[in-house]
Amino acid sequence: MAERLSRRAFVGRGAAVAGGAGLAALLAACGIEGTNEQSLAQLRRQADAVDHPRVEIGEWVFADWPLYMDKAIIRSFDRRFGGATKFVEEINDNNDFFGKVRQQLTAGQPTGRDLAVLSDWMAARWVRNGWVTPIDRDNVPNARHLEAGLTDPAWDPGRRFTLPYQSGAVGIGYDIRQTGRELHSLRELFNPEWKGRVTFLTEPYDAAGSVLVMQGKDATDATLDDELEAIELIGEANERGQFRRFTGNDYTTDLAKGNVALALAYSGDMVQLQSDNPNLRFAYGEEGAVLFTDNLLMPAEAAHPYAAEAMMNYLYDPEVAARLCAYVNYISPVRGIREILERDAPEIAENPLIFPPDEVRPKLQPYPSFTTREEQTMNEAMAKVTGA
Amino acid sequence: MTAATAAPTAAPVRRARRLPTGWLLAAPALLWLVVFFAIPLANQLQVSLLSGDAEAGYTLTWSFSTYWDALSDYHAQFLRSFGYAAAATAIDLVLAFPFAYFAAFRAKRSKAILLAMVVLPFFVSYVLRTVAWQLILADHGWVVERLRDVGLVSADGRVLASAPAVIAGIAYNFLPFMILPLYVSLAKIDRRLIEAATDLYASRATAFRTVTVPLALPGIFAGSLLCFIPACGDFVNAALLGTSRQYMIGNVIQSKFVNVLDYPTAAALSFILMGAILVFIAIATRLLGTRTLTEAAV
Repeated sequence: MAERLSRRAFVGRGAAVAGGAGLAALLAACGIEGTNEQSLAQLRRQADAVDHPRVEIGEWVFADWPLYMDKAIIRSFDRRFGGATKFVEEINDNNDFFGKVRQQLTAGQPTGRDLAVLSDWMAARWVRNGWVTPIDRDNVPNARHLEAGLTDPAWDPGRRFTLPYQSGAVGIGYDIRQTGRELHSLRELFNPEWKGRVTFLTEPYDAAGSVLVMQGKDATDATLDDELEAIELIGEANERGQFRRFTGNDYTTDLAKGNVALALAYSGDMVQLQSDNPNLRFAYGEEGAVLFTDNLLMPAEAAHPYAAEAMMNYLYDPEVAARLCAYVNYISPVRGIREILERDAPEIAENPLIFPPDEVRPKLQPYPSFTTREEQTMNEAMAKVTGA
Repeated sequence: MTAATAAPTAAPVRRARRLPTGWLLAAPALLWLVVFFAIPLANQLQVSLLSGDAEAGYTLTWSFSTYWDALSDYHAQFLRSFGYAAAATAIDLVLAFPFAYFAAFRAKRSKAILLAMVVLPFFVSYVLRTVAWQLILADHGWVVERLRDVGLVSADGRVLASAPAVIAGIAYNFLPFMILPLYVSLAKIDRRLIEAATDLYASRATAFRTVTVPLALPGIFAGSLLCFIPACGDFVNAALLGTSRQYMIGNVIQSKFVNVLDYPTAAALSFILMGAILVFIAIATRLLGTRTLTEAAV
């Protein structure tokens, strides 16, 4: 008995020593690698010198969100330019995707993707850190069709590194059978009449931004304090039981199933939901609406920049942009497609969710631009409110 | 036992020869454990002691305060996880015992069908099964309307997005983990022991209480652990059937890792969860006693 115990003790101690040594070695290996923020000027010098020679387009990789592309466009691109586009619908969430490629980006290694679609704030983060390949605009002449309002964001002046892919508005999605009347104001989301029958978005730029718009503030010029105040207001309403859930794109289930009467919703989703359920409506808040834009960008060390640029140029051809817009139902950043759609698909050309009416356009407010630290603080505050 | 009582002089020689074979036999499993358990665990420990953010990078600062911060920020979710997991385990035990008992003692030819029915849902993905409940329990769905008719749900009440929905979801998803070990330990019981008890003038209830249940204890224990442990870390049910007011610690860890990219806090939370579960198991083992359990199993 004593023998056995001592042997067990010995084995245990041995394992502890071996484990401890291994642990120490592992712990000594430095932390998760960081990055150095490059100055915008330095990046711009890179952009000035950029020259991506026209080469044959072979196999290259385009990472996009699910259901965000008409695959026929990819096929016709391949036919026309003789490429073999590897189109992957792998981006479900900006942070999720960032987490996937973060190590390569910070280590200065290729991510294996030549073109990716990221929302404004994440695209801004990539530009800020130099995790992008500048666009050789000589290869993208069609970029001249870009909507005037989108040409000069604070985080990428002159669009040297990114080009808008699609835009959308954040507004009120509702089921008219349940509300019994049309809704016009973002205040309805906080109206006690709908207590427990509202879903709100988890994404702080959309959620807090919409509150700021509701309060008549400028969401684009918002400071961190403004955002934190807005988040506090959301938290208070949540404490009162106003919101059934905080959601990403999945508010669509609750709305389509009739579990909620209204939701803070994305315009493009609502176009698609309406085709299944005609009782669903979308309203731009009369106070205005947060406008989000997803951007095409080439990650740093992209192996096939010319292929990616050829694709960007193709997507900015108004005929192609019209097809894409008719398929995804978001707001296109390409000018001159309305005329094409009036000819080909008049019901889309008249849809106010795809072509916001003139009185709405000036009230659409893009995301503000924050530093990493500010963004982190905002994310944490929102995460506390949403319970995770 | 016999080796220890054998002549002490012979033992070391024999052991020296035997040891390498034993280690060799254990080597594949040990290697597996080291590569896929020990190293990741050490790595996770290291991550939990870093500080920084996803963009600027993380450096090792031995910041044990992360643990304290995580605990003070998320103790509510921890308690909720344990509460929900315990409730679901209790529900499963109550539901599974009669079923396993019937399958082990009463069912003859239907036994295979019964057990197949238990395992069948596993052919569908966990998440899909839970999403299905989301549709079944929709506020204006058939089920909830009927529950309203009989007054189990108030006129403006709901089933989804509530704590009972989350607990029921967990109980549903982990039920087979309770049934199968219970069935195994019940089926192993020597019927003659129960007969002997009744022969000795025990009523059927007394025989059940003093013979069947104690002999089924290993199954109860195993089933409860198999339900309770994964249920503590579950996030799917709370995410799909609950709201942020029902979020469990798994939801926090998932969001910290995937959405907030706050790896140190996520790692620290995982370690706290692991530690808490280990303590639970230790207490349960001490209360029920592994010794009596193993003896009962023989």
